[in-house]
Amino acid sequence: MTKLTPIQLEVLWNRLLSVANEQQTTLIRTAFSTIVRESLDLACGVFDTRGHMIGQSMTGTPGHINPMATGAIHLLKAYPPETLSPGDVLVTNDPWLTAGQVNDFTVMSPVFRGEKIVGYFANCCHAPDIGGRILSAEAREVFEEGLQVPIMKLFDKGEPNKVLFDMIRANVRTPDETVGDLYAQTASNAVGARSLLQMMDEFGLETIDPLADEIIARSEKALRDAISKIPNGRYEHEVWSDGFEEPLLLKVAVIVRDDEIDIDFDGSSKQSERGINVVLNYTKGYASFAVKAAISPEVPHNEGAFRPVNITAPEGSILNCKRPAAVASRHLVGHFLPGVILGALSQVIPDRVLAGGADPGWMSIWRATWPETEKGANFTLFQLGGTGARPTKDGLNTTGFPSGVGGVPAEIVETQAPLVQLQRALRPDSGGAGKFRGGLGQNTDFAHLGSERWSISGMIDRTLFEADGLMGGLPGALGEFKLNDETAPPKTVMWMEPDATISLNPPGGGGYGSPMERDPEMVLNDVVDGYVTVEAAAEKYGVVVKYTGAADALVRMPSDYELDAAGTDRLRS
Amino acid sequence: MKDQKYRVGADIGGTFTDLIVVDTETGEFTIGKTLTTHQDPSIAVETVLKDVLDAAGIGADEVQHVIHGTTLVTNAMIERKGAKTALMATQGYRDSVEIGRETRYDLYDLMLEQPKPLVPRYLRFDVPQRTLADGSTHTELDTAYVEKLTAELAEKGIEAVAVAFLHSFTNPTAEREARAIIEKVAPELRVSISSDVVPEIREFERASTTIANVYVQELVEKYLRQLERRLEANGFEGSFYLMLSSGGIATVDTTVKYPVRLLESGPAAGALAANAYGIATGHTNLISFDMGGTTAKICVIDKGEPLIAHDFEVDRIYRFAKGSGLPIKLPVIELIEIGTGGGSIARVDSLGLLKAGPDSAGSDPGPVCYDRGGEDPTITDANLILGYLDPAYFLGGKMSLNMDKTRQAIKDKVADPLGLSIEEAAWGIHQIANENMANAARVHALERGKDPRKYPVFAFGGAGPVHAYRIAASLGSPMLLAPLGAGVMSTVGFLTAPLAFDFVRSWVTELDEIDWEKVNGLFSEMEAEGESLLIESDVAAADITHRREIDMRYVGQGHEIRVSVPLGKLDGSNRDGLIAKFEETYKELYERKGPPVAIEILNWRVVSAGPKPDVSLTVRETDDGAKMAADCVKGSRPAYFPETNGFVDTPIYDRYKMKPGMTFDGPAIVEERESTVIIGPDAKCSIDEHHNLIVEMPESQG
Repeated sequence: MTKLTPIQLEVLWNRLLSVANEQQTTLIRTAFSTIVRESLDLACGVFDTRGHMIGQSMTGTPGHINPMATGAIHLLKAYPPETLSPGDVLVTNDPWLTAGQVNDFTVMSPVFRGEKIVGYFANCCHAPDIGGRILSAEAREVFEEGLQVPIMKLFDKGEPNKVLFDMIRANVRTPDETVGDLYAQTASNAVGARSLLQMMDEFGLETIDPLADEIIARSEKALRDAISKIPNGRYEHEVWSDGFEEPLLLKVAVIVRDDEIDIDFDGSSKQSERGINVVLNYTKGYASFAVKAAISPEVPHNEGAFRPVNITAPEGSILNCKRPAAVASRHLVGHFLPGVILGALSQVIPDRVLAGGADPGWMSIWRATWPETEKGANFTLFQLGGTGARPTKDGLNTTGFPSGVGGVPAEIVETQAPLVQLQRALRPDSGGAGKFRGGLGQNTDFAHLGSERWSISGMIDRTLFEADGLMGGLPGALGEFKLNDETAPPKTVMWMEPDATISLNPPGGGGYGSPMERDPEMVLNDVVDGYVTVEAAAEKYGVVVKYTGAADALVRMPSDYELDAAGTDRLRS
Repeated sequence: MKDQKYRVGADIGGTFTDLIVVDTETGEFTIGKTLTTHQDPSIAVETVLKDVLDAAGIGADEVQHVIHGTTLVTNAMIERKGAKTALMATQGYRDSVEIGRETRYDLYDLMLEQPKPLVPRYLRFDVPQRTLADGSTHTELDTAYVEKLTAELAEKGIEAVAVAFLHSFTNPTAEREARAIIEKVAPELRVSISSDVVPEIREFERASTTIANVYVQELVEKYLRQLERRLEANGFEGSFYLMLSSGGIATVDTTVKYPVRLLESGPAAGALAANAYGIATGHTNLISFDMGGTTAKICVIDKGEPLIAHDFEVDRIYRFAKGSGLPIKLPVIELIEIGTGGGSIARVDSLGLLKAGPDSAGSDPGPVCYDRGGEDPTITDANLILGYLDPAYFLGGKMSLNMDKTRQAIKDKVADPLGLSIEEAAWGIHQIANENMANAARVHALERGKDPRKYPVFAFGGAGPVHAYRIAASLGSPMLLAPLGAGVMSTVGFLTAPLAFDFVRSWVTELDEIDWEKVNGLFSEMEAEGESLLIESDVAAADITHRREIDMRYVGQGHEIRVSVPLGKLDGSNRDGLIAKFEETYKELYERKGPPVAIEILNWRVVSAGPKPDVSLTVRETDDGAKMAADCVKGSRPAYFPETNGFVDTPIYDRYKMKPGMTFDGPAIVEERESTVIIGPDAKCSIDEHHNLIVEMPESQG
């Protein structure tokens, strides 16, 4: 192929992205677990013959996309092209090589055009169960956390690896779902391959490697150009996470050197004895995500975008743990990394970052017994708090960041498990006050049907350290985890009496700018809508709002509230 | 009573109201167009109807059917001009419409926004009540609360209430009870309950759809009754029907109950029209392609039926991204809309790649060539440079285009930064726009398990025919079809739709544990319901047909595959056939067999329809002396084709002179008032008996 013009390049590039989106659509439509199909805890990508990720699908999570991208090389090392045949599919869940926990399976398939491999498709998603302990932070070694599958063939020339499937079935609590998702992952790659081959036929391409080279080179250059516009310097920041047993310090130095960025986590806490450790591959995933989102959202995320960003963490630290550390709950630490990096960057590009947000997505694993059939249920739920406020906008209520995972409808929860979700409501006053307000968290309560004991493992954080505000904004509200209204222990499997009630209240995001500068009309509107209470309007924003309607009125219209301008002036002066 | 042999289709669009009258005996037709009257859109319909009937010498009492579609509902939602609406939700769930799915539709954009629900939080209420997943009652409805709330809502000037309780699709009792109370306490309030509007699982989508339904109800009812009165006052004695988003038509009474089903009825009619033309010309598989100023719409038509989707989004706030709009769960002709139109802006991004859209210059200031202050080069500007548009004859000469400014803008913003000539840059913009649209069509077709290479492209809309040739080439389509009068295409679609109603029952059961008696009961219940509605709408019982479908999946999956089911009484002997059909469809869509897991059925569906009207249009022949294609050439101009390595003097054909049987070869420009068809070199073109332009794509493309 002769050198591609910018126009051919755009045409082919666009097509490749649409191929990755088809891959993702297939994964979602054929997946079994709600984790994949409702919450989208997944990633899909297309790779060239050398194992470089070129493109990825629209959504997904940085914790899967980037580790999958950097992990592919290990799969190809174990199975070089000459060992692969059409219909072969590779698999592994090695935390250190891929996405940092044994629940995440990476499935990779070569694309054959005739005799030759012309590329690979891979995807990575979270299995509903992988045996071992119920997902929690309690393990002391990875061996306790479930079945480890080293790099091997999942399908051999199109035939399922019966031994492996039988082993998985025998080891997990959800055999149909765990195996069903592996089939979905395989179908997803197959549909990607079908479309890639169609594209190559249509454009008469013998190889996609030159296209990959060009996209990767341009991505690298664009990211370098964007980095060059940031003043050189060393920008530091730190945040605390709840940790397990004791809090963890996450410390970063972001060093901008011309067209490169070093992100160094030196000074962060040591490796934990419990399952909250992060492998370096996962650390890199969330760190490079933050750089892209803040500095160059337009640049495609691929091999080229990784090159100008050097990410390091001391070996044996919480962000670069050594085998056989327990790692099951690594996302509870990893999700903090974009926030801490954006905090550092706020010193130099305050107009392009967010205030602190809820950060870790809340994930809870439930076990219960259906009253009539006595069948066991094993269910994973995601819930999201508020995002940090932006330089010109409020934060988003109950929206995942940095992970893109989503929640699960109550009607799905209650058909999948014998649970009753008693409420799922926005949390008033949970958004950090600011000129722009942080996003609201939520209040959710759960009861259960039947007379057996049931359990929850609440994989949650930010119950001790709130999301920071920025530029004078105030912090968001802490998250709350309660059993029968009493604070309950997170990150551990907790067995409960049949009539217990559980509350999971993910935190709010931090504010941006001083709340005293928030337009009083905006505060008034927030009060009318119940995002902010009358009391908090006065106390946090210095805005006096009076409710003038009937005390017992259910319907409270905007006209039932008054802004007290004089009172506001007094409070704000 | 006079012989009612005429049928009328009327479409209210954002700018124009179009109308067609067809003689059902001869197929002769007359069309009319007038500016839409936004204050009361029924005025424009009346005006254009009178004009057309008068001009053709037809009495209003000779009209059998008036079939109508409108963007009223879509606009009311986008512009937030519906009723003051409140939501009554299950205790603890008033925020489900705001919490939504909790995902980000763009992973990297830190500044994105989530769509805003139609009901603000202060009008959303938690009603003490709870139904469980199995339909049993956990907490009885607090009727006193509903009474007090209703009285207050009415007093405070609220006009409409949506009721959406959890699990109401399994047990609607509490919703019905609430509705009865609301109707008793404040009969002036409009009420929609979710188990009525969309009895399907997922509370966010169901509540959002129910809100939309009641939000537009008054607007729709007022408008339709007004239009009905106007039609009657003009002597119309026939039946008045509405086009629904699903492509069926319904009476005013039914429509007023479920007005949200009017969403997208105009574009749906466009797809139906394409379908009708396709059937008439023997092409039952088509990709219909409609491109206007800001967006392009694509629909896949398969075996004489447009593909139907069961959810979509209104008012997408972020570059047409999935997830950035309000979810609506309804059967709808599946139109993929993308942000590529004539006004889409071209720019060079930070990677040095050329992008076209989705930002648009709109109609104000519009493309640079309009010379109304637009500074960013657009797709229309590129088309002008390429010779695809005539600077002196745009919109039939009503507007002249500024070539110098256009060249300068493309030079500064695209050509120079990329190191290309102005012409190369313009071709790049044109090509990238085409690829965007072709990609959307391809992904969509593939998602639905269809191979786009087998589908001819059917082009309409103002800008559609300019781009369609290259889109057909990119998709690998064998053929391009361009109808005469692409501008009023969709009105024809109204006339092709049968009266139809669709029904769904949710009942989850594993295939191996199925109760066939219950299955037969569900189907016959829905079919009886369909039959009685159709008979009420004057369809003869003998003309009614039913179609059955079920949604199947492997136990544990979250998404279903639709499989058709035979009519008549079913029993255990149907099991293997259903499994085979399911597995075959699964493999076709997803390349691989599913895992060894049980199969279940979730939804049971019936579509009951009246007879499909036979619409064949006859164009009145005029004798203007043109005998062969060469006689229709009105001039020539240089146009850019990569096959000829640049500009080549290209003949311009006058579309209105072209007659059936004429043939010619590309490259060619075929002009009519509202659109221009661009045809590349080596294509074989002909005019068929319906005056469609048929372009056979040359073998080597891409």
